Amino acid sequence: MACGITAGAWLGAAEAPTKLVTLGLSPVVISLSMVIGVFLARWTLPALIQGTSYVAADLREAPHLIVWAVLAGCLWAVANTLTIFAVRNVGLSIAFPLWNSNSLLGIIWGVLFFQELRGADWRRWVGVLGGALLMFGGATALALASAAQVASADATRGVAAALAAGVLWGTMYIPYRKAYLTGMSPLSFITFFTVGELGMMIILALTYSGGLSPLWAQLSGARHVLFWLLAGGFVWVVGDLFQQYAVKYAGITRGIPLSNTNQLWGLLWGVFVFDELRGSAHSVRMQVVGGSIVMAIGAGIIALSSVSRNEHVHWQKAAAREDERYGVDPEYTEARIAGENPDPTVRRRSWVDWLIVLIATGTIVGFALMARAPEISVRGQVAAVLLTATLALLVLVGGALWRTTRFN
Amino acid sequence: MDNEREATRARGAARWWSIVLRDVHFWVPVAVLVGGLLVLSWIS
Repeated sequence: MACGITAGAWLGAAEAPTKLVTLGLSPVVISLSMVIGVFLARWTLPALIQGTSYVAADLREAPHLIVWAVLAGCLWAVANTLTIFAVRNVGLSIAFPLWNSNSLLGIIWGVLFFQELRGADWRRWVGVLGGALLMFGGATALALASAAQVASADATRGVAAALAAGVLWGTMYIPYRKAYLTGMSPLSFITFFTVGELGMMIILALTYSGGLSPLWAQLSGARHVLFWLLAGGFVWVVGDLFQQYAVKYAGITRGIPLSNTNQLWGLLWGVFVFDELRGSAHSVRMQVVGGSIVMAIGAGIIALSSVSRNEHVHWQKAAAREDERYGVDPEYTEARIAGENPDPTVRRRSWVDWLIVLIATGTIVGFALMARAPEISVRGQVAAVLLTATLALLVLVGGALWRTTRFN
Repeated sequence: MDNEREATRARGAARWWSIVLRDVHFWVPVAVLVGGLLVLSWIS
């Protein structure tokens, strides 16, 4: 549960760089730059924390999960690009809650495909479904607010982009759950997930930019702000890692709504740091704030409906079905679901791991040296407070996660 | 010996690929991905 809340803070902070779209950068260039940062982080963090030998050992046990990880990465890349169009058309504070409707879809897939909530008592069903309805109501209020604030054609496209991103991200939890029912470590999963992400994003960037030369020209023209986008991608990965651990240990139906508290962090960044609602009518502000709060309450109710022992029995049945279908060793699955490592000898770092870390660090430092502060109005003091709170969550919850699971 | 091991590994890979393609959990995300690409092309 704590992982879900920390994920919310970091995923919320990662969306702030997408505000750079107001500087006139192409959404596809922004998304590609973020994905490059994501790619660097998704290889660096596993290499630093567990070592690539650990990732290789995971894949020997369940090689089919490469396909699922790559597929999830493709879904993420398309969704992320859609969110940037949505932010451009309706703003961060409105688009954010709309794409967070992904948790509703995640719940449906969890119940339909992975036996989540089976064996739960009526209070848990009411908690999850009631929370889902509240979230839907909040999203509707925000969609209405968006129609009042921007031109109708832009609003329609922005709302469609945000909702489509929600559907893509909600469906992305199918591969996530598939991997974690088998016991795979999130650190191994994201290493291949990012191959799908980067591959799909390069295809999209080449398609929508009109080829390699125009894309290169756009990237070169934007080199002074690329660092901020890479950093946004890096921050996103930290949040996503916590989200993956939340899905692994609390399931989709609880982990995702908790991660979606990023909506509140997004609202804080949008309204207090970037002053997004300046000049808008009082009624619009009330709709945005009210809709966001209702959605957050819905997420909270879902999160409080903790997983019962009966539900765990059904999870184990779903895991056994996966083991049988794909020929995975049940002992491996059992140990990994319990947060244990059946073969501690694989957790050794080699020169390959240090090389990956060195290349990634060098790339980020290179872009940082070229970076200039974006020409956008930001309230520095509020941003500093939000950053401090986000870092504090990382230290506290990351430490607790290490003590209980050793990041397995 | 090495050739035999490679052949076994290749047979295993072909087997799990065919299981993935017969798994409904695979086709739902694929369909959603195609839908997402269509929405993106309309919006952009």
